[in-house]
Amino acid sequence: MSTLTKALIVLLTVASIFLCGIVVTYVANAENYRQKYTDLRNTAAAAKANEDNAKRQLNETIKQADQEKAKLNEVIASLLTQIGEVQAKLDAAEREKATLLQQVNSLTAITKDFFQTNDKQGQLLKNTFDELNRVQAELIKEQSDLKDTTTALIEKMAIVTTLEEKSKRLLEEKTELQDKLDQVLRQFGKTAVAPTAVTPTKDKARVAPAPVTKDLELKGRVTVVDSKNSMAEISIGAADGVKESMKFHVTRGDEFICDILILDVDTEKAVGILELVQQQPKVGDSVSTSL
Amino acid sequence: MSPDGQSRGRKITPPDNIYTIMLTVAFCVVLVAVVLVAYKCYSQYGTFFSIP
Repeated sequence: MSTLTKALIVLLTVASIFLCGIVVTYVANAENYRQKYTDLRNTAAAAKANEDNAKRQLNETIKQADQEKAKLNEVIASLLTQIGEVQAKLDAAEREKATLLQQVNSLTAITKDFFQTNDKQGQLLKNTFDELNRVQAELIKEQSDLKDTTTALIEKMAIVTTLEEKSKRLLEEKTELQDKLDQVLRQFGKTAVAPTAVTPTKDKARVAPAPVTKDLELKGRVTVVDSKNSMAEISIGAADGVKESMKFHVTRGDEFICDILILDVDTEKAVGILELVQQQPKVGDSVSTSL
Repeated sequence: MSPDGQSRGRKITPPDNIYTIMLTVAFCVVLVAVVLVAYKCYSQYGTFFSIP
């Protein structure tokens, strides 16, 4: 065997061992690409399925979102309509509020005017009461004067009667003296001329006939007494003939209590103010138009 | 490689059987490698040559 052959055998052996070692090492450490491919394919299929599922869910979500959007749009439209109605109601309420405020202001002004008028009327009533009291005082004074005048008139009438009797007696004496004078002068053929009065005669003063009056003779009872306001209510009214400004006398037995000047008349009752109060009237006291 | 050669030149040479053994070892190594590669290919890909 030649040396070259021997060398080639050695090299072949060494190279075979070396290359086979490398191949065995590579094959032992090589990855299983089929398994890896299968895994990747499965992973890709799962990813595809996930993608499809995600797309389907996305479509469903978009569809649900569209439905929700449509519902929300309907709700928004309904709410906008309600807002419009509420706004209209609010405007109407504002207008009504403004109207009521105007009415309140008007009523306030009217009430203020009413209070002012009431104060004026109260003052006027007070002045009227003062005037009435003054007039009543004057009336009482004039009644006293009238009484004095009546007394003086009666005295004058008595004097006139006395003077008439004197005049009659003087007339009788004159007639007698005239007869005597005529007898004396007739002896001398003369007659007396009728004397002319130096003082002109006047008509006699005559008393005017008194007006014929008739008392109504209304009688009743005191039903309510308001001492605070000096007011009283009686048990007879317009049905019995009571009228405003009529005056009633309140008596308890034979005792004069006061007068009631009627201010307001109802059908079965009347209300008046107390005057000439001698005692405080009580419920049940008698009232009448004449004492 | 005969005993006559050693006696004539006194040159120490390995016997020829060693090269036969080396070739046998190399063959066995290659065979084992081929078997291993074939086993791996068949077990992993199910075929020896074609691409699945």
